[in-house]
Amino acid sequence: MVEVLISAFVLASMYGLVAIGISFTWASIGMLNLAQGFIFTAGGYTAFLFAQIASSAQLTGPLLSIGVIVSGMVGSAVAGLIVGAIAFLPLQDRQNFRTRSLIATLAISLIGTQVWLLIFGPQSKPLPPIFGDGRINFGDTGIGVGQLGTIIVASLMLALVIMWMRSSRSGLQMRAMMMNPLGAAVVGVSVRTTGMRVLAISGALSGLASVLLAQIFFVSPTSGVQPLTVGLIISLAGGLGSIPGTVAAAGLIGLAEAVTARYLQQSLVPFVQFAIVVLILIFRPRGLGGLLEDVRE
Amino acid sequence: MAILDLVGVSAGYGPVRVLHDINLQINAGERVGLVGLNGHGKSTLLSTIVGLTGWQDGSILFEGREIGGRRTHGVGRRTPGIVRQGIALAPQGDAIFPGLSVKDNLDSGAYTGPSWRSRKRRRDHVLDVFPPLAKLLGQSAGTLSGGERRMVSVGRALMSDSKVYLVDEPSLGLAPKISLSLVTALCNIDLGEGAMIIAEQNLPLLDGKVDRVLGMHAGELKLDVGEALGDIPPSSGGHY
Repeated sequence: MVEVLISAFVLASMYGLVAIGISFTWASIGMLNLAQGFIFTAGGYTAFLFAQIASSAQLTGPLLSIGVIVSGMVGSAVAGLIVGAIAFLPLQDRQNFRTRSLIATLAISLIGTQVWLLIFGPQSKPLPPIFGDGRINFGDTGIGVGQLGTIIVASLMLALVIMWMRSSRSGLQMRAMMMNPLGAAVVGVSVRTTGMRVLAISGALSGLASVLLAQIFFVSPTSGVQPLTVGLIISLAGGLGSIPGTVAAAGLIGLAEAVTARYLQQSLVPFVQFAIVVLILIFRPRGLGGLLEDVRE
Repeated sequence: MAILDLVGVSAGYGPVRVLHDINLQINAGERVGLVGLNGHGKSTLLSTIVGLTGWQDGSILFEGREIGGRRTHGVGRRTPGIVRQGIALAPQGDAIFPGLSVKDNLDSGAYTGPSWRSRKRRRDHVLDVFPPLAKLLGQSAGTLSGGERRMVSVGRALMSDSKVYLVDEPSLGLAPKISLSLVTALCNIDLGEGAMIIAEQNLPLLDGKVDRVLGMHAGELKLDVGEALGDIPPSSGGHY
């Protein structure tokens, strides 16, 4: 039972990172970023390249771990900016921006997969273990150091981002833009600058998730598809733009996956996840966030 | 010297031309009332100054710098830049941030300017102008009444360290008593070297409180109607 809970937490923290990024992007600039999977993979490959350079430079220990995490986040942030430069800046003030950017990001996602395939080949690439492979035992159950590290790092990063959104000036600008773009414009917040900032931050969060997930599954050209799908349904179920809602939905979906995989069958996981999201959306069309954040126009 | 100088400004949305060749000079220290019926272009004129209309043409000089010119698309793309130069707009419909507290909403007016550092002092100043907001600072702006929202929206514009304040229909949808106190508060603000344009349907509300009244009809500016003000008996209460 404890093991199921732990694995639920691990999944929830990784999905949560991706989902928050998708949710932010949607709520602030109105772009459903289907290229989030491409951005996710970019972080994994950047971290892989860094690990290769590091191993030839004899880099080990905490420095290597930090380097892998940081390079993954930077790689994904840059990928986020590239997506922004292609699908956001040129289209932002055209008609039907939402549809156009949806198509553009889908294209980037499809092309991106082929680009990774061309550069890195179809084989999965491993990343060095970030937290080591020890195990902490208590009683007859225990928790892997890797799992514990994933949970701590992911929650820490989420907490940091949420605090920054709530208290810093640029964080407040972003929240302002999510609530009322016209209001943001008349107080001098530029949608374009802030939008690119949102894309970079969403990217960095995905990059972190990518590096953490690579501890379990290796990096491959299509390894961004699953996080994208689950991230999308979590941000929908959580209520787009709502941080508490997204965190709650990530917990729910992570738990559903862990329980289904443990007691039923791994192949039933997507079925159960989607069933939960459909149920949530039937009863709360605005997602869980409507329950937690009742003030919205 | 004119702080704001509009020459041959036209603007509109898509195929619709709302403003026709507007020429307008606003001097430093001046408070101007802009009156006219619904749909005759008052809001569009204010929106044009900050680049929020669908398209626009004609020169708009702010302190001698060109902020207008011909623009066929890019709604609002230049707005943040213009706002940062020192033009604050309290738009129609308020455009406040419902999920933020009243305090954060007011502070948002100082997001991009140097006034961010002095936001506490400026906030106190806004609370002097709109005392009812003092009790509501911690409350979420989405729960406010219409009058309170309007105060937040106008207060937010005042938070910025702007030279020109554009206030769009401060009395719209408010009870007469509240709109009177709001407009009176607006007209008592010391502008210094700045200027203020108040768009308003209810002419008697501005009676004697502004330096000049301009009429707007079918997207064209009518001559100053300042003298005519005296001819309208306030008791008629009629909308201009």
